Amino acid sequence: MKKLLTLITLLPLTLLAHLNIAVSYPYIGALTKTIGGEHITTTVLAKGNWDPHFIIPRPSLITKVRNADALIMNGGQLEIGWLPPLINRAGNPKTSPSSATFLNLSHHVELINKPSEVDRKDGDIHPDGNPHFHLDPKNTLLLANTIKEFLISIDTEHRDVYEKNFAVFLDMWHKKMSEWSQKMSDKNGLKVIQFHDNLAYFNKAYGLTNIGTIEPLPGIPTSSKHTINTIELIKRENPCCILHDVYHSTKTADFISQKTGIKVVLMPHDIEALENIDNLSALFDYLTGAIK
Amino acid sequence: MKKILLSSALCTALVYGADVLPVEKRTFDQSKFIPDISLVMDASYVDRNVKDDEVGHLEVPGVAHGLLGSHTHGDSNHATYNAENGFNLNYAELVLSSSVDPFFTMDGIFHFSENGVEIEELFFTSNALRYDTKLKGGKFNSNFGYLNEQHHHAWDFADMPLVYESFLGMHGINEVGAQLQWTAPTPFYLMAGFEILQGENEQMFGKETIGDVENPIAEGEDGPTLYVGYIKASHDIGDTTILGGISYAQGASRIDHSTDEENPHAFSGDAKLYGADLVLLHSLDSYSSIKWQSEYLQRELDGTQYTLDVDGNITGSPLMLKKQSGLYSQLIYTHDKNWKIGLRYDTILKNDVISNGLNVEQPNGLDKYTAMAEYHTSEFARFRLQYSQDNAMFNEAGQREKISTIILQTNISIGAHGAHSF
Repeated sequence: MKKLLTLITLLPLTLLAHLNIAVSYPYIGALTKTIGGEHITTTVLAKGNWDPHFIIPRPSLITKVRNADALIMNGGQLEIGWLPPLINRAGNPKTSPSSATFLNLSHHVELINKPSEVDRKDGDIHPDGNPHFHLDPKNTLLLANTIKEFLISIDTEHRDVYEKNFAVFLDMWHKKMSEWSQKMSDKNGLKVIQFHDNLAYFNKAYGLTNIGTIEPLPGIPTSSKHTINTIELIKRENPCCILHDVYHSTKTADFISQKTGIKVVLMPHDIEALENIDNLSALFDYLTGAIK
Repeated sequence: MKKILLSSALCTALVYGADVLPVEKRTFDQSKFIPDISLVMDASYVDRNVKDDEVGHLEVPGVAHGLLGSHTHGDSNHATYNAENGFNLNYAELVLSSSVDPFFTMDGIFHFSENGVEIEELFFTSNALRYDTKLKGGKFNSNFGYLNEQHHHAWDFADMPLVYESFLGMHGINEVGAQLQWTAPTPFYLMAGFEILQGENEQMFGKETIGDVENPIAEGEDGPTLYVGYIKASHDIGDTTILGGISYAQGASRIDHSTDEENPHAFSGDAKLYGADLVLLHSLDSYSSIKWQSEYLQRELDGTQYTLDVDGNITGSPLMLKKQSGLYSQLIYTHDKNWKIGLRYDTILKNDVISNGLNVEQPNGLDKYTAMAEYHTSEFARFRLQYSQDNAMFNEAGQREKISTIILQTNISIGAHGAHSF
């Protein structure tokens, strides 16, 4: 009987000791898990193979937010179309944007391509700049550091563990980064086409230049007129390839490829976007090896 | 010449000066506190096979009057959406929302139309309550059922399902009151909610005195008179989401048709409404999905029916019991970010009208079939073509009038990015 009582009283305590952190995208989950180690569990809201802008706010996600002790999001308006109603419906004070257990990563990195003029005639633009910043491996370090500080601030008790895990990650990532730079060294200066400019940071990191997108404007579906213009642009500028995300149909890209002879290269934007990409290193291993 | 030069220099300096001073340096500048603002326009072109003058007099026998067209209530003109043949400007919806302080947010949704301004919703929501409860207060769409909480422009069709519109009217349960919701700490989604509402629904849950206050036809009740409760649960199986719910609403009922030109009448009593809803959504990829959405409503009205003469004198007051039910079921296929198509089936299943213990025979086959296709130029603009065949409408002579309606609807929105819940 006594045993049972201790078990009952201890059970919630062990549950409390374990921080359950909800994150919007898989890459945030992986980073958080790396730093948090065994002291946290992560719950990823969006699937890695789907368009990060368009996540269906399924009720099951409300429950995930409701049961979380903290929430980490990408920010930069990437989640604007789906996360606010989830947070609102969950009614969880710990995941409210004003709480200390809420982290907006975009506030801790420098966003590029911030539009000088914000007008929807230019498409569904991100007013704060391009939010796909996690695809520059240098930013990964900043994000890891931000997450480490965040975990320490909400769980000071395990500071040493988080510091140690971060140091291990830092070391590993630096080695990886020089490996990737080497792999990409001969790609410097290449011109590329994309569907949507979600590789802006990757391109900047490795000296690739994006010269055009298959979508006429952000969030505006393809049109035949724009496709013809893109084909002409490709013939004029000779980009190496079309870097394509995994969630839009490659129909238009294949057509352009047929007309111009340039390759279509699938570029995963996150963990689980393609099979076998199950961690952050694997994501960059793939990305840096994709352009042949 | 000098003057012109001087003034133009001054103007340039002024304009330039205003331009270079960054927002954060403007003393007492409050522009950063502007709430999120958006404006939604809903307009339509309607081609109905029944004339406008006629359509307002049609009824769903035993269930509801005046679902279509526009009507005059005393001094005010009241129009339903897509009321007229030809062009309709249904509304401009202005949405303002912002945090109030660390404890509350506030949302205001206003409908501007040619008949005036309506406060569609105006409520505060707490986000700092304990035990994972959420409190809402003000005027809002009840979370009864599935469709009721959504705004008109978020629906998959230009009009409301027949059973909703004929039981509750085109605004559904839209009331002043308070709402408390609790999400359970379960691994799957489970939510329970309770609402206390004033009870001002003209079609089912009214509480106002009917007739002259001195010598009323039926005495009113003091609010709040309407109570709503519901439980919703959801589970994902792979890429398929299942959401189901049961709802119940109970309140006073005053239905006032005492000033109608033809057959003036009124009802006073109590009303109960039961609802069951089921939504299945299967996503094929980021943009493509199939959604099957169905709701069943059943109601019981128990009280006294007053039949009146043209001067407002009561000519009869039989005891009235109405047991009615209906459902709609719709299937929507979203092809990509541009195209969406859908089908809807509406029916009134049960229509028992018992007057003084005697069953009053009501016509069968009250149903409606609707099909639609819509094109989105972007997330912010939608054009929808809808065709419906409505077999539930009867004219004053008690004859069925089959109504075919074509609606070309546009929804355009500007401003803050809308985010709709599931």
